[in-house]
Amino acid sequence: MTVTAPDMLVGASSDFLKRFSPFNRMEPEALAFLAQRAALAFHARGNEILTPEMGQARHFYIIQRGKVQSRQTGATVVTEYASMSMGPGECFPIGAISASRPSTNAYVAVEDSFCFQITADDFMQLMQMSPVFHLFCTQYIASLLNQSRQQLQTTFSQRAAEQQTMTTPLAQLVKQEPVFVAPDCSTREALEKMAELHIGCMVIADAEQRPLGVLTQSDLLPRLLLPGVDLSLPISEVMTANPHELLSTASAYDAALAMATHGVRHLLVIDADGRLQGVVSERDLFSLQRISLRQIRAGIESATEAKALQRASQDIRQLALNLIAQGIGAEQLTQFISALNDALTRRIISLALEHHDLYGIDFAWLSFGSEGRHEQTLSTDQDNGIIWVCPELQELEKLRVRLVKFAREVNDNLAACGFPLCKGNIMASNPDLCLTLDEWRSRFGSWIREPDPQALLNASIFFDFRVLYGNERLGDHLRAWLNKSAKSNATFQRMMASNALQVVPPLGRIRDFVLDDDGMIDLKKSGARLFVDVARILALRTGAESSSTVQRLRRAAVKMGVPNEEVSAIIDGFHFIQLLRLRSQHLDTEHDDVTDNKVNPETLNELDRRILKEAFRQARKLQLRLKLDYQL
Amino acid sequence: MNWLAKLMGGRDGATSPDTNVLQTIADWKALPACDPNRPHFEARYTIVNTEASGLNLDHDTLLSVAAIGLNEGILTPENSFYAALEPHPAATLAELLRFAGKEPLVVFNAGFNRSMLERAFDTHLGFVPELIWLDLFILLPTLFPDRINRNARLADWMEAFDIETFQRHHALGDAFVIAQLMLAAQARALAQGVSTPRALVEVERARRQLQRHT
Repeated sequence: MTVTAPDMLVGASSDFLKRFSPFNRMEPEALAFLAQRAALAFHARGNEILTPEMGQARHFYIIQRGKVQSRQTGATVVTEYASMSMGPGECFPIGAISASRPSTNAYVAVEDSFCFQITADDFMQLMQMSPVFHLFCTQYIASLLNQSRQQLQTTFSQRAAEQQTMTTPLAQLVKQEPVFVAPDCSTREALEKMAELHIGCMVIADAEQRPLGVLTQSDLLPRLLLPGVDLSLPISEVMTANPHELLSTASAYDAALAMATHGVRHLLVIDADGRLQGVVSERDLFSLQRISLRQIRAGIESATEAKALQRASQDIRQLALNLIAQGIGAEQLTQFISALNDALTRRIISLALEHHDLYGIDFAWLSFGSEGRHEQTLSTDQDNGIIWVCPELQELEKLRVRLVKFAREVNDNLAACGFPLCKGNIMASNPDLCLTLDEWRSRFGSWIREPDPQALLNASIFFDFRVLYGNERLGDHLRAWLNKSAKSNATFQRMMASNALQVVPPLGRIRDFVLDDDGMIDLKKSGARLFVDVARILALRTGAESSSTVQRLRRAAVKMGVPNEEVSAIIDGFHFIQLLRLRSQHLDTEHDDVTDNKVNPETLNELDRRILKEAFRQARKLQLRLKLDYQL
Repeated sequence: MNWLAKLMGGRDGATSPDTNVLQTIADWKALPACDPNRPHFEARYTIVNTEASGLNLDHDTLLSVAAIGLNEGILTPENSFYAALEPHPAATLAELLRFAGKEPLVVFNAGFNRSMLERAFDTHLGFVPELIWLDLFILLPTLFPDRINRNARLADWMEAFDIETFQRHHALGDAFVIAQLMLAAQARALAQGVSTPRALVEVERARRQLQRHT
């Protein structure tokens, strides 16, 4: 067989491409496809190859020889670099060509340069035929997401008073050599050492330096002085065993979260072998911060009436602002808000229980909707309910009345603390949502059997439940039953899917975004919800037990064999939309329901706009998957 | 003797004319002449290059021909041609004409390549096609004095532009180099206001005259 001239030239191109990543890892057919279609062109020094003014990007370029500079256009610098120069083997514009839009950067040859080019159609086909190339492009877009987060952080740093970073590893925060005593050390000796070294927390460790317990200053009064403990006793008798520990590689953020979750002020830092490295206190973490977790937490714990909790709820918002300034991502931030709001809600519940005798009733307080998914932003109204079991020989309705009365107090106090009452009356004080386990089952069961529009809407709120207070096992029973029932009912799943597809990502054919009548995009309704709805269906289908969207997507992806990169890109998109929501809620100094969750894309910088578009494209991808799965 | 008679007569030993070859040539002749005033970005150029048994025009013979088309400043792999002269030199040369059409031909060192080709056309097809010829050997130092300001070998220009090819001294391998140089030459010429094939011909002629007089 003779080798033709085109074969020889294609061979030359593919030999060149094979010297560079990702082409060197590309599948042979995909590489051949690329080399066949790659046309070579020359760009003299100083010439513009591609600029935003040229409109929708029509070619994808790979530099063969020379140097091309990528420069940001427009008033603001949106990535960490203002300009970047690229050499042989590098390619552009990945974002613009995959999204069929104009490039946001200007690409100019800064030396006489040769570039291969393929058409946008060929680029798309290449993405489809080559998983390697697809991954390469996806990761590139993911790195843009990261850059945007950094930029957001800079914006907020200017607004916040402090710069202390929450991503610092604990190893760096531990300054002193670890101080500890053996378990057989006398209590007196340990106390003397604490006084001498001016430390508020003494660690008790074994011969291997592995922590066994702690004794803190706040333990002295209740545990030693008041009971009149004999100070010659070994310290192991009075210490708190099983202290909270974190690895030295964990971040300040992790420590703050652990402190907030467990309500402690000290954490032991250990190495990979479990040996004590030191102690971090809340003061170490927040010495510079105006509002500390300790203050918020202490405010919550010490509140003896609902009024005192109002202050804590304002502090939670302020803290969230500081945390954004410190570069915490949307995922951690919503977790953080969730953890503190949970503590607040639990305190309100336990305060209410002091006035209501529910002794002997097995019940649990449920959160629904975004709170149920751990995805609370700063302007979420309450969605809650009660699940309980009626003891034998007791009158059902009488008990319900007592529970509802208790719930009303909780709902009112939550409202006073900045969680607005639910307009749709999805609250535990609604007798219709104060149901026994059996009643919840029959309620859920009827929605699954007869999925009319109202039932589907209900499912989208109530199926995202979790237990916030009380007997967790009641929630577990309900979840297990729900997953089983929904999994076996294909019609219901299909209806849920079709319902989830009612709203499409606001992506335009001509312009970037389709706007609402007010010129805005609703990031909740046409953004976050798209991910949340699909995740819920996938969770029901795969029996994933989590109520959080990210966890649901991750677990479902594992079961369905979706590649990790693909699901990560989807999750990044979801987080970005959540971050924008939080930002718009923060920047609106007045807490106002109307503008919350709304964004005018015109006011976003270029990078945010293009990432938002990519995030919507990920939502579309997720929807497409659902469409195919259920043949809708 | 006209070209048809020559072909029919079989001076190179062919007993009957290949009707395909005749048809190809007839088609080529029927093509409209190229418009030398079309700007580069609309023009098509054909790079041609030869491989001969040696470098002596009198004794050596043409072994193979290669061509690469540049369409509107773009080089695409499928737009290329390579063939050995034997065993059917007339057919090969006719195919080359079909590939090149009547667009301007670009060579490196016309003194050898153009002469070799024109002689082969005359020998095997019985006529010498009238075409615009451009010689990068002359044009490159005129356009890129900042890189090399003298008549230089292809290897020197490759180095000056950091250009690579898959095989040196192969008709197509070298044509690939020349094609890349032509892409650069077109851009530089345009920047200097030399925006059409005709203008390039003028530049080349001026350079040749200058060289003759110095």
